[in-house]
Amino acid sequence: MSSDQNPKKLNDMIKELSIDNVQGNQHKHARNRMPERDLWTGIEQAIVQAVVQEDKAQQHKESIGLTRSTPNFIRKPSFAIAASLFIVVCTTWIAFESGKSMQGESLVAALSEQHQMQKQSLLVSFKDSPASTTNWQQQLDELDQAALAIKKALQEDPNNTALLKMLKHVYEQQMQLIERVHQPAWNQI
Amino acid sequence: MPAELSLVKGSKTEADELAAHELRLIAAAKKQDKAAFKQIYNMHLPMVYGLCLRLCADKAMAEDAAQEVFIQLWRKISNFDGNSKFSTWLHSVTTNVTISYIRKQRGWWQKMMNIDSSDADQFSADASIAETDLEKYIYRLPERARWVFVLHAIEGYRHEEIASTLGMAVGSSKAQFHRAKKLIQEWIGEQ
Repeated sequence: MSSDQNPKKLNDMIKELSIDNVQGNQHKHARNRMPERDLWTGIEQAIVQAVVQEDKAQQHKESIGLTRSTPNFIRKPSFAIAASLFIVVCTTWIAFESGKSMQGESLVAALSEQHQMQKQSLLVSFKDSPASTTNWQQQLDELDQAALAIKKALQEDPNNTALLKMLKHVYEQQMQLIERVHQPAWNQI
Repeated sequence: MPAELSLVKGSKTEADELAAHELRLIAAAKKQDKAAFKQIYNMHLPMVYGLCLRLCADKAMAEDAAQEVFIQLWRKISNFDGNSKFSTWLHSVTTNVTISYIRKQRGWWQKMMNIDSSDADQFSADASIAETDLEKYIYRLPERARWVFVLHAIEGYRHEEIASTLGMAVGSSKAQFHRAKKLIQEWIGEQ
């Protein structure tokens, strides 16, 4: 195909999908897609949980007296998260800048240290908030055990990317667990 | 002629009714009516998922991103003020949520492992998910070139809007678009 024919062919293909080329249902059909799996069940669970947790948070606020007299920035549920996120961003940046060439054991140590700081700061920020489940600390311990097992394996093979990935994933799960059980769903999404 | 006119009139009325029905559903969803929200979901899922798929170039990620879009929509639907068409507003929500979802999935690990962003940019998807010829090529594009190409050529965004959405310079958006266009033209030429 000669090069001067290409632009025309590409333009035709673009027209077929382009939002500007509205040609009724046939055009919509060309642009629209349907997922293979059911997405609604997950969405429904998330929004139901959101409503329940919003109600719980409201009740909790009322029970601990966070009323109109409380300064706005403290009344907002995102305040604690924002504060801990600030710490997280700072520590991540420092760890990242100082560890651009970090590998193996030092990377594991940096990851673990940074995670402990993030975890502690989150736990402190939620210490007065009610948890939505009773066994969350047990789940947290189980994830700690998993992290320990991975770190043990990393001692044998410090540069194993798959293990590092798993460790990072376990740490993320811990953070998500702490946030999920303590805060209204609006802040989880 | 009168028959054609009545057809046009008829379809306009039908469109008006649909729009009015949609507005009623939105009003109900703003009051946390889950059934109304599910109807909105059913009406717009094909558009939302189609856009997610073109941006993610990955079926599983697009499905997760589409879920995220509707969860965010439930949260933010009260922000819809009716000044624009709902589908236009939802389109913009979909773009923002999906881009931020993709970045969230890739960003942190990429940084910690000191992977060059250009490596991640080389990501290209399984072309078997494509339903049109152009999609086959879109899914082969590097990530940023794909985002810009999809948003500009397919979704009709201006480069200024893309630059703002993706956090890049307008010139970079234009450059990525030309890069994408050139790559696709080369691939078409290969056939």
